[in-house]
Amino acid sequence: MSNDHGGSTRQDGAQVVVELSAVHKEFGDAKALDGIDLRIRAGEAVAVMGPSGCGKSTLLNMVAGLDRPTSGTVRVHGQDLGKLNETGLALFRRRHIGMIFQFFNLIDDLPALDNVALAAQLTGTSARQARRRALELLDELGVAHRRNTYPAALSGGERQRVAVARALMNRPALLLADEPTGALDSRSGEQVMDLLIDLNQIGQTLLIVTHDPHLATRCASRLVEVADGRVARERSLEHTA
Amino acid sequence: MTGAVWRASRAAVRRRKVQTIVIGLVVFCSTTTILLALAVMSSARAPFDAAFGAQRGAHAVATFDAAKAPAEHLAAGAHRPGVEAAAGPFAQVTLNIPTDWLGHPPGSITLVGRADPAGPVDRVKLTAGHWATGPGEVVVSMGRGTFDNLLGRTIAPTGAPPLTVVGIANSMSNSAGGWVTPEQMAALHPSAEQMLYRFTDASTDEALKAGLAKATEGLPGDALTSAQSYLSLKQAFSASADAYLPFMSVFGALGLVVAVLIVGNVVSGAVVSGYRHIGVLKALGFTPRQVVAVYIAMVSVPAIAGAVLGTAAGWALAGPIIDVAFNGIDTGTAALAPPAWLPVACLVAVPLLVALAALLPASRAHRISAAEAITAGSAPRTGRGLQVQRWLSGTRLPRSVSLGLGQPFTRPARTALTMASIVLGVVTVTFATGLTGTLLASMQPPDGDDGRTFVHVQVGAADAHQTVSKLTDTQIEAVLRATPGSDQVTSRAFERVGLVGYTQPVFADFYGGDALERPLHVVKGRPATGPGEVVAGPAFLDQHGLQLGDRITLDVSGRLLPATIVGEPLEGNARAVASNAATLAATGVQLHVVEYVVRLAPGADTDAYVKAIKDTDPGLYPNAVTHDMNGPITSVITFSTIFTLLLCVVAALGVFNTVLLNTRERRRDLGMLKSIGMTPRQVVAMTVTSVAGLGLVSGIIGVPLGMAAHRLIVENITILAFTDSMINVWHTPLLIAVALAGVLIAVLGALLPARTAARLPIAEVLHNE
Repeated sequence: MSNDHGGSTRQDGAQVVVELSAVHKEFGDAKALDGIDLRIRAGEAVAVMGPSGCGKSTLLNMVAGLDRPTSGTVRVHGQDLGKLNETGLALFRRRHIGMIFQFFNLIDDLPALDNVALAAQLTGTSARQARRRALELLDELGVAHRRNTYPAALSGGERQRVAVARALMNRPALLLADEPTGALDSRSGEQVMDLLIDLNQIGQTLLIVTHDPHLATRCASRLVEVADGRVARERSLEHTA
Repeated sequence: MTGAVWRASRAAVRRRKVQTIVIGLVVFCSTTTILLALAVMSSARAPFDAAFGAQRGAHAVATFDAAKAPAEHLAAGAHRPGVEAAAGPFAQVTLNIPTDWLGHPPGSITLVGRADPAGPVDRVKLTAGHWATGPGEVVVSMGRGTFDNLLGRTIAPTGAPPLTVVGIANSMSNSAGGWVTPEQMAALHPSAEQMLYRFTDASTDEALKAGLAKATEGLPGDALTSAQSYLSLKQAFSASADAYLPFMSVFGALGLVVAVLIVGNVVSGAVVSGYRHIGVLKALGFTPRQVVAVYIAMVSVPAIAGAVLGTAAGWALAGPIIDVAFNGIDTGTAALAPPAWLPVACLVAVPLLVALAALLPASRAHRISAAEAITAGSAPRTGRGLQVQRWLSGTRLPRSVSLGLGQPFTRPARTALTMASIVLGVVTVTFATGLTGTLLASMQPPDGDDGRTFVHVQVGAADAHQTVSKLTDTQIEAVLRATPGSDQVTSRAFERVGLVGYTQPVFADFYGGDALERPLHVVKGRPATGPGEVVAGPAFLDQHGLQLGDRITLDVSGRLLPATIVGEPLEGNARAVASNAATLAATGVQLHVVEYVVRLAPGADTDAYVKAIKDTDPGLYPNAVTHDMNGPITSVITFSTIFTLLLCVVAALGVFNTVLLNTRERRRDLGMLKSIGMTPRQVVAMTVTSVAGLGLVSGIIGVPLGMAAHRLIVENITILAFTDSMINVWHTPLLIAVALAGVLIAVLGALLPARTAARLPIAEVLHNE
């Protein structure tokens, strides 16, 4: 197995960004997670794979503080998320987490620039400063020329780039991606993969949930395979690039 | 496939529990409001006509000299052309009662001999007891109210045996003061015959005169001694009752419009938010017509339930509300009740209105393709109100607030409907506030009376089963003045008097003692404190075609008393004038004082004063009052408060529905915003702001409209003479407060769905959308 990733071993000894210990999550009688243990160090790019319903999206939600475990602890950036209330979790996400989604989740009524600036404006950053930073990010991601375009008029790849820019707006310690290429054509998908690789190469910690082995092997330095709510297999991915 | 339509509708109702409840609740509240509004409006429009028609009232009550008009000739008059129906002749006598009787002052009573209260004309309504069937029994005429306690009491006319009250009745035709059996009437030696006529044309005084002339054809010219026209009764009735009806009608009309707007908004919103479901149904093979049927059925289930419950609640409340609305208003003997067709009309019209409101958006569901409908909820929307959104995002406002402010522009039609209902809510609040302010200002005691306690002392009357005072009027007044705590004492004597040139008697109050300007408080002209001066209310002046400065002549127990109208109080009985003891003294007639009003000195012990009076003379009945509340005014304030609250609740429900729909449609956006760090408080702020802005704009629009409505109404009430200071109740803090009513309605409506939005499970939303 080879990948384009450049730093599979450089995180050894780096700070632990994500630490899941014996995490269980049940929805009624159904067990979504059944004792997951997982550690992600700063600068790592980890891909979580598994069949539908195996619990990988639930795992991502736990790390993002979007959902709470039935038992076990989730620590991100040293913070036990179980000890935070809803407001605390929101502030935590704002400071430490960036998220990108399969279906982009952009606000249709705002142009690309304002969609990106939104994340900073929620923290109290002025509109001017937020727009300046948003423009920089859109420029870095190659969609600055589309800054005044509304989501409905953007291509799928462009929408996902705008979504990535929004996720990076507050300089998060951890970037979470839920099937980031799932709704894209192959060319756009490749572009997004390149983008994720570039981000990781400059030190961005990544946790990607995907069905797509190609995405996992191209972008991640470590692959975690989940089945029936447990970590079935975990391995480092070598790269040849 | 009908079964499939029903099953799909039922499933949709179950799936949208909250929306189903909201539709049911809005229709319930709206139906209640509509029914109450229509009940009040129908009572307001023609209470006299309704009550008069129900009793088949007499267009003319004619009295004939029995010696000159043979009974057979009178009876034959019933069949003359132009006479629709007639009843009689009934023997009639007028007797004098020298003492207070059944709460009435001494005076005359007209008794009529009738075997029963039914008949083709003037179906007298028996409200208590039974009809007179034997000798010594009398049924007396009373207006609205409960008079059961009068049953068994006796009246003692001069020169006749005492009569026991066995029944209480009322006649819209005002045909008699009491009724006895024909046999009893014969024993009373009647000198007159009464005929009750209904004419085919009774629209004008001339038509009535013409009808009466035909009915009495062939009789000697002086056989007809008096004829009472129902038109003058109607005028007397409406002069007092109709005066307050514009207030009621405004509330009724506002209630109707708000209810219609909200129902339209809620139902169309339910259909618009269900487009995706419509697409799925079409994909399953439902025809466009069946899809429309599913949606009509879906909204009809809660709408019918709401309409039925709302009609029941409205019908149950209509009686008490009308009583409140007309409490203290002289409605003659009209028994006010909402018309029976009203609940039926509501049960038919409200579900029909809901179906119509659903049909418009559902017709779009009929047209669009399955694919288009399915993607309606998930495909990116082409943004709306974009310029505003962009401008707001660049402002210094907190982002949650600017996002909220921009939301109304994405759904302009829904926003317009919601805003219209808030505007009407604000108009209602402003109108009610202004009206209450004006009425309260009109009730303010004169300078110097503020904060003082008054003790009303009634002089005991044997007729009311009270101990009769053994003291003379002068002695009573001396006792009241000498008792510690007394500051001022005002007396009131009361008499039914004739008004020369007019057929109907009037009532006259004669005030004596201190501070005559208080009871004779006027808003135009001056108090009648000098001899030969009277004051009369606007209704009296309007009804008698008089004005300030006119001279009238009162007939007080046969003594003619010329007087000048020098003042006009804020309001007053349409059949009463007020003057002073000096005016009465000029006639030489001695009247007993019926009541004293004592103003206590500052700091006086009220209880001690009342006790001292009771101890001094058990024939005096003191009662402490802090303020002399005016019945009709209190009723209008109570009524307007009830309706304002009801309308505000309906308007807030409209906002609730709008926010609920918006929140549902923006679930994905909300999930995303929360995922990037929007706190629950920011979500609440954004959601509430999305309608608070509308509330503020609605306030700015609604306040001047409400002020205009207030001015229009209070300036055109003929029975009340408000001064400018009473009308100009507005000041900046009050205006700001009523303008904020829009924000309050919006915030109250938005708070619950906003909190729900703040608790939205992000993972679930983002996963499902």
